[in-house]
Amino acid sequence: MMVDFFIGLFLASLITAIFTTRLFRLLLWYSFNSLTLGILALLIGFKIDDGAMIITGIVTIIIKAVAIPYFLKSFSQKFHFVRQITPNVQTHHAIMLVPAILVFTFYLSQPVTNMMSGNTNYVAVSISSLFLSLMLMMEHKNVAPKIIGFLSIENSLFLLGITATNGMPMLVELGIFFDLLMAIIVINLLFHREGFQGAKDA
Amino acid sequence: MIAYIFTIVVLLLIAPLLLSFIKSLKMFLLFKRPASLLQGYRNFSKLMHKETIISKEASSITRYAPFLVLSPLLVIMFFLPPVVHGAFYVSFVDAFTITGLIALSTFFLMLLGLDSASAFGGMGSSREAFISALVEPAMVLTVFSVSMMAGDLGVAQAAVNLSEHFPKEHMASFLFAGISFFILLLAENGRIPIDNPETHLELTMVHEAMILDITGVYLAIIETAASVKFVIFASLFVSLFIPFGLQFSVPIAIAIFIVKLFAVAFVVGFLEVNMAKLRLFKVPNLLGIAIVFAFLSLITFYVLGA
Amino acid sequence: MLEFLLLPSIIIFILSFIKSDKVNIPLAFVSFLLVLPVTKLLLMPKPYAILGDYLVADKLSTYVLFVSSVVAIGVALALLTLHKHVKVSKHAYRRFYRFFAIFWVGLIFSILSNHMGIYWIGLELATLSTVYMIRTNHTDAAHKEAWNYMIVGAIAISLILFGIILIYASAKPILGEDAMNFSLLLEHAKEIKSPFLFELGFAITTLGMFVKMGFFPMNLWLSNIERASFYPVAALFSGILESAIIIGFFRFSKIAMVINYDQLFVFVFAYTILTIFIVSFLIFRAKDFIRLFSLSGIEHMALIAMFWTSGAPFAALLHFGAHAFLKPALFLSTGVLESNGKYKIAGALRGYKGFKGSLFWFLVSLFLLAIISLPPSPMFFSELYGFGSMVSVAKESHHLLAMIGAILLLLLFLALIFYKFIEIYQSMKYEGEEGEKKVYLSELLSLVIFAVATASLILPQVMSYIEGIA
Repeated sequence: MMVDFFIGLFLASLITAIFTTRLFRLLLWYSFNSLTLGILALLIGFKIDDGAMIITGIVTIIIKAVAIPYFLKSFSQKFHFVRQITPNVQTHHAIMLVPAILVFTFYLSQPVTNMMSGNTNYVAVSISSLFLSLMLMMEHKNVAPKIIGFLSIENSLFLLGITATNGMPMLVELGIFFDLLMAIIVINLLFHREGFQGAKDA
Repeated sequence: MIAYIFTIVVLLLIAPLLLSFIKSLKMFLLFKRPASLLQGYRNFSKLMHKETIISKEASSITRYAPFLVLSPLLVIMFFLPPVVHGAFYVSFVDAFTITGLIALSTFFLMLLGLDSASAFGGMGSSREAFISALVEPAMVLTVFSVSMMAGDLGVAQAAVNLSEHFPKEHMASFLFAGISFFILLLAENGRIPIDNPETHLELTMVHEAMILDITGVYLAIIETAASVKFVIFASLFVSLFIPFGLQFSVPIAIAIFIVKLFAVAFVVGFLEVNMAKLRLFKVPNLLGIAIVFAFLSLITFYVLGA
Repeated sequence: MLEFLLLPSIIIFILSFIKSDKVNIPLAFVSFLLVLPVTKLLLMPKPYAILGDYLVADKLSTYVLFVSSVVAIGVALALLTLHKHVKVSKHAYRRFYRFFAIFWVGLIFSILSNHMGIYWIGLELATLSTVYMIRTNHTDAAHKEAWNYMIVGAIAISLILFGIILIYASAKPILGEDAMNFSLLLEHAKEIKSPFLFELGFAITTLGMFVKMGFFPMNLWLSNIERASFYPVAALFSGILESAIIIGFFRFSKIAMVINYDQLFVFVFAYTILTIFIVSFLIFRAKDFIRLFSLSGIEHMALIAMFWTSGAPFAALLHFGAHAFLKPALFLSTGVLESNGKYKIAGALRGYKGFKGSLFWFLVSLFLLAIISLPPSPMFFSELYGFGSMVSVAKESHHLLAMIGAILLLLLFLALIFYKFIEIYQSMKYEGEEGEKKVYLSELLSLVIFAVATASLILPQVMSYIEGIA
C-alpha cells in the first residue's frame, strides 16, 4: 500500500516538474522525486529483505535527493543561470499531451507487464515516467532543465530496475551512481564556460 | 438522525470560524498580530445591523440573488457524507448534483455582480465564469474517479464505503484524485494562487469584485455563503480523502472531524503564505494540472488498477 | 592483468596534472604504451578471466581492444602536431589527455566486460569523457555540440540501460543475479520464459546503440559534433568509441540470434537499409571532409551490423577492423587537407613537395580508395564475404528474391557513395589551385602505421585469426 502511495508521489512530482517554470522549483521537484524513489527502494528492500536494495535506497536519498540538487543549485548561482525557464510546449498543449502520453504508455506497457510476475503497475509507471522525462528534456531550451530531464530519465530507469527485476546487482547500481557523479563533474566543467549569456541560448 | 442534524448545525456554526482561522494563521505566520478567531461572527453581526443600500441601477435580482446564492449551498449541506459511523446520510446524490448545485450558486453570484451595472461587477463575473468553467470538468472527473474506487456513484455512499474499505490497492490513483481535489478546493473558494480574498486590487480581484456594491444583510449572506462553500469543500475533501476516525463514538468522531477540517484550513493558510497569486491568465494552467491529475487518477484506476 | 591494463591510463591521468608545457611529449609516449598490455593479452590463451566472471578477455574482445589501441597510438602521434594545424593552447592538450585516460578506462571495461551492467558503465564513462574532449576546442560551436552530445548521448545511453533492464528482467527468473552475464545468458538463452520481453529489451538496446552510432533518425548529429571538435577527437570517435558500441551490439545480437533470429534479422536489416539509403544521399551532398568521412562511417557501421546479423561474423569483423584503421587515418589527414580552409575540397591533394609530401598524398589517396572498397582493400573482401553470406542465409529462408532485391538496392546506394568519393578525389587531385601545404613527421608516421595495419589485415595469418574468432 505504501509502495503504491509513493509510486503515485513519484509520478505526481514528475508531472508537476513538467509544468514548472522556475529553475529552483524544478530542482525541488527533482529532489522530491528522488526522495520518493529512495523511499520506494527502502520499502521494497525491507519487504523482500534485500540488503543491497536498502543500501541503494540510502545512497539514492543521499546523492540524488540531497547532493545533486544542492550542487546544481550552487552551480546555477555560481554561473548565473537564467532562472525563469519557460517550456517550449505551452501549458495548455501540455495538458493534453501529458494524459495522452500516459494513456499511450500504460497501454504500451501492457504486453510487457503481462509477462512480469508481480509489481506490474510499477513497470507501467516507470515506463510512462521515462517518456515524461523525455518530454521534460524536450520541452526546454535551456541547458539546466535538460540536465534535470536527463537525471529524471535516470530516476525512472532506476525505478524500472527496482520494480521490474527486484533490484539489479549491487555492482551495477553502484556503477550507475559513479557514472552519475562523473556526469555531474562533466556538467560542472561544461558550465565553466556557460556564462550569463551562454545559459540563455545554448 | 440526531447526529446528522447536529453535524449540519456544527458545520454551519464553524464555517465562519474556519475562514477566520485561516486569516489569523496567515497573520501569525507573517509576524502580524493575529485577528481574533471570532472575527467572522463579529463581521456577521455587524453587517446584520447595518443599513442595506441598493444601487439605483440594480433590478430586483439584487434582492433575490443573495438568497439564491446561499440556498443551493445549504441544500448541499444536507447531502454531505456522514461524520459518524451509522449516522443518517443521503446516499443517492452523485457528483453531478453537487457540482450542479455549486454551479447554480455561482450563477446567481455572477448575476449579482452583473446586476449592479458597475464596471467591476461585470469584470468579476466574467472572471468567475472563466474559472468555474475550468473547475467543473476536473471536479466531476475527480469525484467520479473516487466514486469508482469506492464502488458507488453517490458521494455520501462513496465516503462511507471508503471509510469501511480504504482502497489500499488503489493508493496511487487515490493520491492523484486527492491532489486534483485540493487544487479545486483552492480554486473554487478563491484562495490565493487563484484569487486573493483579502484585497480590493482591481487587477486581481474576482470574488470581491462581484460583491463590491452589496451591503448590509445581503453582504452578510454572501459572506456566509462563501464560508459555507469552504466548509462544504473541506468536509468533502476530509470525508473522501481522509476517511478515518468514523468508527468512534459520536462526540469523539465529530471532534476528529473538526480537527481534520482545521488541518485542511491550516494547509490552505500555510500555502497561501508561501505562494504568490497567479496572473489571471495563468490560472488555466493550474486548473489544467488539476484536470491532468483527475484524468490520471481515472486512467491509473482503469488501466493499471493501481 | 587488470592493473597492467589500467596502468598507462593512470600514469596519463597523473601526468596530466603536471603544470608544464613539456609534459605533452611524455604523455604521448605513455599513450603508445597502451598497446603493450593489450598485445600481452592478445598472446594469452583465451578465454582469460581478468576479473572473475565480470571481465573476460575472449578472442572477440581482445581483437577489438587491440584494434582500438593501435588507433590510440596513431591518434597520440597525430596529436603531437595538432597545434601546427589548428589554434589550440598547450593547456588543452593536458586536459585532453586527462579525459583520454578516463575514456580508455571506460573503454577497457566496456570492451572486456562479460556483464551487461559493466558494459553499460564503461560505455557511459567513455561517453561522458568524450563530452569534455569535444570541448578542448574553444569555440562556441564546439561548446554547443558538446552539450548536444551530452544530451543525445545521455538519451541513447539511457535507452541502452532501459533495454538492459528489460533483458535482465526477462532472464532473472532462470538465472538470478547472474542474468547480466553475457556468456551465461547465451548458454541459457533457450530457457528464457518470456522471449518477448527479451526481444523488446534487445530492440530498445539496439535502438540506443544505433542512435549513438548515428543511424537512421539521428544521422547528422554525430557528423556535426565531429565537425565542431578537433580532428583527433573525430578519429577517436570513429575508431574507438564506435568499436565499444559495436562490440555490445555483437554480444547482444548473439543472444538474440538464439532466441528469435527472424525478428533480429528483419529489425536490423530494415534499420540498416533505411540508414544507408539516407546516408548515401547525405554523402552525396557533403561539402567538407569531416562530414563526408563521418557519414561514410555511419554507412560502414550499418554494413558491419548487417554482415554480423546475416551470419557472417568474419566479414563483419574484417570490415570492422578495416574501418577502424582507415577512418581515423582519414580523419587525421584532414588536419593537413584542410589547411587551405574547411570547405575547400578542390585542390586539397595538390601542392605537396618533397618525399614527405608525396608519401602523404599517396597514402591519403590509398585510404580514400580503400574506404570505398576498391579491390586490394580488406573492405572489398569483407563486402564480398558479407554479401555472399547474405545470399546464403536467404537461400535457407525462401526469401531469396527479397534478399537479392535488398542487395541490389544496397549496391545502388553504395555506387552512389562510390561515385561521390571518386568525384571528390578527382576534385582534390585535379581541380583548384596549388597551395603549399606542410606535412609533419609524426602525422606521416601515424598514417604509415594505419596503412601497415590495414594492409596486414589481408595477410593470411591475420585472416585466419579473425576467422578463428567467428
